[in-house]
This record gives sequence, structure tokens and C-alpha cells, in this order.
Amino acid sequence: MSNGTKAAAELRRDNKGGQSLFRKMFDSDMSVGWLFSLPFLILWAWWFFYPFLQSFIRSFQDANFAALDEAKFIGFQNYVRILQDPEFYRAVLHSLEIVLIAVPVQTLIGLLMAILVNQKIKGKGIFRTVFFIPYITSQIAITTVFMMLFKQGTFVTEFFGLFGFGNVTWFADTNYALMFVAILFIFQQCGFTMIVYLSGLQEVPKDLYEAGQIDGASKWAQFRYITVPFLKPITFFIVSVATILGFQIFDQIAAISRYGALGSPAGATNTVVTYFYQHGIRYMNIGYGSAAVVLFFLIIMIITYLQKKLLDEKG
Amino acid sequence: MKTRKAIAQFGNYTLLIILGALFALPFIYTLYTSLITMQDVNKLAGVSNWTFDNYKMFFTNDAYNVPKWLMNTVIMTAVVILGNLIINPMVGFALAKLDFKGKKLIYWIVVGTMMVPYHMILIPVYVNVAELGWLNSFTGLTVPFLYQALYIFMMRQFFISIPTEFIEAARLDGLTKVGAFWRIVYPLARSSLITMSILAFSGTWNSYLIPVTLTSDPSMYVLVVGLNSVKDMFFENTPLIMAGVVLATLPILIFFFIFQRQYIEGVSSAGVKG
Repeated sequence: MSNGTKAAAELRRDNKGGQSLFRKMFDSDMSVGWLFSLPFLILWAWWFFYPFLQSFIRSFQDANFAALDEAKFIGFQNYVRILQDPEFYRAVLHSLEIVLIAVPVQTLIGLLMAILVNQKIKGKGIFRTVFFIPYITSQIAITTVFMMLFKQGTFVTEFFGLFGFGNVTWFADTNYALMFVAILFIFQQCGFTMIVYLSGLQEVPKDLYEAGQIDGASKWAQFRYITVPFLKPITFFIVSVATILGFQIFDQIAAISRYGALGSPAGATNTVVTYFYQHGIRYMNIGYGSAAVVLFFLIIMIITYLQKKLLDEKG
Repeated sequence: MKTRKAIAQFGNYTLLIILGALFALPFIYTLYTSLITMQDVNKLAGVSNWTFDNYKMFFTNDAYNVPKWLMNTVIMTAVVILGNLIINPMVGFALAKLDFKGKKLIYWIVVGTMMVPYHMILIPVYVNVAELGWLNSFTGLTVPFLYQALYIFMMRQFFISIPTEFIEAARLDGLTKVGAFWRIVYPLARSSLITMSILAFSGTWNSYLIPVTLTSDPSMYVLVVGLNSVKDMFFENTPLIMAGVVLATLPILIFFFIFQRQYIEGVSSAGVKG
């Protein structure tokens, strides 16, 4: 064999080797699995895992954004200071109030909408759209509109005045501002609740109702003893999602605060979220803000855990 | 029996109309007020007194540059959706159809990340973006958001439902698994990809918390942040602000009416399965 053909054969083999390497890389589960996960894992490590760890680490530091190099560990001091701050407890209370008012109301209205839209009624598509649109609209836009509507002296505040509410600018009044935020959240969330309930209602077996009719059950009894139990898992899902989202509300409160500190007027709409945002981002007190975020996270975890436990107990 | 049915029907309609009116009122008010002058606010003005001047203000004034904000929003949203369309399905496919060491770990990373509210990492993300010099830039507004754990999970659920025979058949035809994914499986996922894009679109287009944290230069504002700043500056000028609300929400509403069916299906399936 001459040198030339030897080289050519080698080249061919190499080429084949290259091809099989290529094939191996793009065809074995191991390499493709990691290859496909790699872009995500890089972004995740960089923009989730690392910041996630930082939130914990910074919470034990006295760290200011202007001089992060000089950050030093101070143990639990941030946590102690937060837990001694009456504003923090007020913020937790406000978060709870929003959730306790808005979640049941939006669940009931959403269910009512779903039942109404599920009937054989002309024009139900239009109503479904009208109910759903607030959910996909910017919350800043909706809050802006509601601020104009709930000013002192508009037809809306005068209408509410008939039911004993004061004719005041709702978002600027410490007694009404939190209620205003709850209304905004209800307005936004009902459409989502309706859609989820609607898909649940369509899965209730028809023969259950037929059996109920034969037994002479009234419409209300059918609803009470067939529909409600059937929708229980969905109700649980809706309440969990709305609770978590209720705790995370930010846009609406930021919008009504205008140039004032977050949580305006006078801290009446301060929540756990605005509390950490005010300290961590606005005041650039990274350590203190991070400790508040960790506490926020703990609250969410506890609520999720309690909900899970409640579900397990009730089966 | 018949009258009872008629009464029930009447009751249904009454309730629907009351609820419908309550929910439609803010939108009608917005549209109407955006077309009138300040003197006519909260009064009924005849059509002859309507004007488009409020809208014109947004396109002729440098202080609030709506075309620029619209452009920023479009760029941000487009880049984020593109990233999500590439990165999420790849991971979803790996988790659904490939068997490899470390898969369990990646699965738990996805599920764990899904459950952490973004607030939890907002402060460090802000610090990191600032340290990279990415504040007030499209890099800062998009790179951290090119993937979304929830959508990875959704894509995984979809790919599990695709028969593995499709991949095997493609491999018999000489395609690698990578090739089988991009040429066969990815196109099959069209409806799931559309659902994901729709959800990502409205989420990104309407997002306020992140852009307001990562931008401070008005020329880098997105529509929602810009709208909020206009609202604060000209709070007494209700018609002007209402025109701004219409401009900021119109694109997403048009988008919604085009994709309404997929949109609602997407929300209910993300809700029930997710």
C-alpha cells in the first residue's frame, strides 16, 4: 500500500469516526439530554439559583447598594430589626386582609359567572369575553381607570355613597385604600376563576343531574349536592392560586402611590411586598430588604403547607 | 313548568346583564373619556364635541414618547418569546422523552423554580443587572427571562403525550434524536407552542414590576411603565390619561381577539393541569 492510499484510508476512517462521534453526540440520550438542558441550566444558575442564594446570604449582611464591597455579616440583626418594626406587622396584616376579602369574593363571583355562562343562553360568548378581558389587561391600566372612577364626586363614589360609603377619593383615604386594592384584585381575577370553573363544569357527568331530576331534586339541591362536591378540587386550586397571587400584589399598589412612598396613603396599603421593595430597591438597603424577602417567602411557604395539609385531611 | 323555566331564564339574564355592565363599565368609560375634553369629564358630551386631540398629544410630545415605548415593548416581548420558544421545548423534550443521568435533578429544579415567586430573587437580580451595566438596556430586560420554568413543565406534559414511535421512525430514516426533535416533534407541538407564546406574550407585555425596577431612563420605558409615569405627571387631565390607557391596552386586546379560543383553552389547561 502506498503512502497516499494509506493516508486516504486514514482520512476516511477519521471522517467516519467524526461522523459517528457526531451521531453519538446528537443521538445518545445522555448527551442530547444535557445538550438540550444546557441553555436553560446556564440561565437558571445565573439568573435564578445564584440570586436565590444571594437573597439568603445578603439577609445576614449589612449591605447597601452604594457600597456593596463593604458589606459585612451581622448575623440575625436584620431579622431582629424587622420583627421589631410595627410597620412590618401592619404590612403582614394588610396582605392578609386583601387575601381574606378578595379571595372568597372572587371565587364566588367567578363561580356565578361560570354557571351563568354555562347555560344555554344567547350571547354568552360576549359575556364570557367581557368577564375575561380584565385578566389579560395591564393592571396598571385598570388601576389608572379605577383611580379616575373612584375620585370624590364621581358617579361611582356617589353610587357607593347610597350604601353608606363615604363620598371620598378611595385610594387617597386611609380607610378605603386597602378595600380599593382588594376591589382591583377581584376585578382582575374573576375572569380566570370563571374560565377554570367553566372547564370543571363541563366535566360534571350529565347522568348525575338526570339521576337527580328523577329523584325529584330541586335545582338548588342539584347544585348543592352534585355540582359543588364535584368542583371541590377545582375550588381548592382556585383558592390556592388566588391566595398566592393576592400575597404578591404589587402593580396596583405601586400605581396608587404615585410620587409618595409605596403603600400610600400613610402606609395604609403597605404589604409584605411593598415593604421589601421599599427597603431593598427604593432605599437600596440590600441586606434589610433581603431579610424581608426571606420572611415573605416563609409566609408563602407556610400558607402553601397549610393548604396542602387541609386538602390531605379533607381527602 | 314552562313559566318556571322562563322565570329562571329571566333571572339568568338579569344577573348576566348586571355583572356584564359592571365589568364593561370601566372600559366604556375609558373609551368615552379618551374622546372628550377636560370640561366634559363625568358629563355626557354629544358626539359633535368628541375629539382625537388627547391621542394626538401622545405622538407629538417628546416628554412622553409613545411610539418609542411601543417599540421598546415590542422588542422586549419578541425577544423573550423567541427565547422561550427555543429553550423551554428543548428541556421539556429532554425531560419527557430522553433517559439520562441527572434528569431527576433537572426535573426537580424545574418544579422547584416554578413554585418560587419572582419577588424572592428580585433584589439580587437588580444588583446583578446593575453590576453588569445592564440597567436601562434590552439585555437586562430580556436575558434573565428567556426561559420560564412553568412553560418547561407545560411542554414536558405535552411531549409525554406524543408516542415515542414517532422518534423511532424518524431515527430509522437516518435522523438523530436532535434531528427528530427539531424536524418531527417540534412541529407536532404547534398548538402547545402557540399556547405558551400567548401566555408569555400577555405576561411580558403587561409586566410592570420588572421593567420599572430595571429601567429609570424614560427613553427605555415600556408602555406600561410609561403609562404610569404619564398618569402621575398629568393626574388631573383625565381624558389624556384615558387616551394613554387605550393606547397601552389596545395591542393586547387586538391580540386577544385574534387568539381568543387558544387563549382561553391555554388558561384553562394551564390552570387545570398545571
